[in-house]
Amino acid sequence: MTEPIIAARPGPAAWARLTLTEAKLVARDTAGLVVPFGLPMLIMVMNGLGADRTPVPAFGGLPALDAYIVPMTIAMVVALIGIVNMPSFLAAYRTTGVLRRLSVTPAHPVLVLVAQAVVSLVQTVLGVALALALARLSFDLTVPRSLAGAIGVFLLTVAAMYAVGMLVAAIAPTVNAAVAIGLALFFGFLAMGGGFGGREHLPGWLADAGAYLPFGAALDLLGDCWAGLTPEPGQLLALAVTTVLSGAAAAWLFRWD
Amino acid sequence: MAVIEIDGVRKRYGATVAADDVSLTVERGEIFGLLGPNGAGKTTLVECVSGLRKPDAGRIRVFGLDPRRDRARLRQVLGVQLQQGYLPEALRVGEAVTLYRSFYRDGADPRRLVADLGLGEQWDSPFGKLSGGQAQRLSIALALVGRPRIAVLDELSTGLDPHGRRNIWEIVERIRDTGVTVVLVSHLLEEVHRLCDRVAVLDRGRVVALDTPDALVASEGGGQRIRLRVSEPLDLAVLEALPGVTGVREDDGELVVSGTREALPVVTAELVRRSVTITALRLEEATLDDAYLAITGRATEENPHD
Repeated sequence: MTEPIIAARPGPAAWARLTLTEAKLVARDTAGLVVPFGLPMLIMVMNGLGADRTPVPAFGGLPALDAYIVPMTIAMVVALIGIVNMPSFLAAYRTTGVLRRLSVTPAHPVLVLVAQAVVSLVQTVLGVALALALARLSFDLTVPRSLAGAIGVFLLTVAAMYAVGMLVAAIAPTVNAAVAIGLALFFGFLAMGGGFGGREHLPGWLADAGAYLPFGAALDLLGDCWAGLTPEPGQLLALAVTTVLSGAAAAWLFRWD
Repeated sequence: MAVIEIDGVRKRYGATVAADDVSLTVERGEIFGLLGPNGAGKTTLVECVSGLRKPDAGRIRVFGLDPRRDRARLRQVLGVQLQQGYLPEALRVGEAVTLYRSFYRDGADPRRLVADLGLGEQWDSPFGKLSGGQAQRLSIALALVGRPRIAVLDELSTGLDPHGRRNIWEIVERIRDTGVTVVLVSHLLEEVHRLCDRVAVLDRGRVVALDTPDALVASEGGGQRIRLRVSEPLDLAVLEALPGVTGVREDDGELVVSGTREALPVVTAELVRRSVTITALRLEEATLDDAYLAITGRATEENPHD
């Protein structure tokens, strides 16, 4: 009289629906769109308006906009979404019991983490594409001399920033804490990495450290790719190590409720 | 047929004992109540049954499945409405139910389910804009959308006004009428008495009583409570000595006599015999509240150092 109970994990349709749902939620979070899209682009435009396209020998003869301002804009978009926006979503899901509610359904709560990561990655790509298109149209931005390298560095940067973001989400007890920790890291990385003016003004050891933190490393590496210079292997390694260590720590420390 | 078997389950968090040798079974098709004060271990027990927590000792079977080992199968037949399970504020009712439907092999039609729960007009409303009762009904919808055979509902009428509460109770009765076994966690006696076929009273992790609500009332003297006002002061011991009277106390100028159904004629006869005039009299049926206070009060007396 009783049908057998058959185990079933959510299939591709459920994954797709969850990702679509996350996308809608991200799109409805207007404030979360304005900052990561608006702030980096605004900084880029202000810098672009004041600059002529004078070649800079240190940048392989490229103007500063191509080899410094645009890489900085890209790194900023990735950092804002990865370290500030995404963790605040995930922390909210934990503290309000969204993850707990999911854990009593056939869907493992890790699904929602994956969906959120996918959606914010799309958001990042969109933000970067917008900035690049604007720079191309308004300021004659050149194509990176090492295009494949630039794409590779971009992906590595995303991995490193997102791993740091996951760690923030893992340890932040509240949404408020997630935003605060995320913003502190974001500003710290920016200040040490050259986001508020050149690193050369910093004390030497601070500048050295900043060059190997995700923002500084991404900025230098993207600039190198634009200029067609050989990227610094130590900085590539730094991004990879950040990804692995932060990712592992996040997986180890993540609290589901 | 038992659909949930709990046998000798223990669970402690540090010094707090949340489940102390709990054994009980839930039968197919009944509404089973878990009643108890805050901190009695109701939610812990539900979490163990749902596979969210592992008991320190003891055995739990749900349809013969181990809630932790057979998690994937259990999830298809057990719908859980957890206390404090919120949703993202911007998520709309229809989106939430459709999303949760996609997690299950088999399930209800989201639009019909939402309409059945009286949320048809809120289909496009974001979770953050729902009233307490609407949010609670959505929560029930999410627990039912996978067409579970058992629905666990934890404190579902907390924070609702009397109207919203009655509304939810009707929904729970309808769920049972469709053949779903319901485990109802509550600290509201009226709710438990109205809905539950059987109820386990938990107190500090222990099952201190388990029976039908009416049997629990009867077991604690049951019967009636006579509230009366009399023309002159009276020695309470006189009434206490009467057959059928189990207790007498004074409450704000009123005499409150508890006892069996025989108590009323005996008490009035005694008062007439003593020429004491009764100026007001009210008869109250003993409720689950009385039984509950007696049961949990006794448990406290027996273990004063807990």
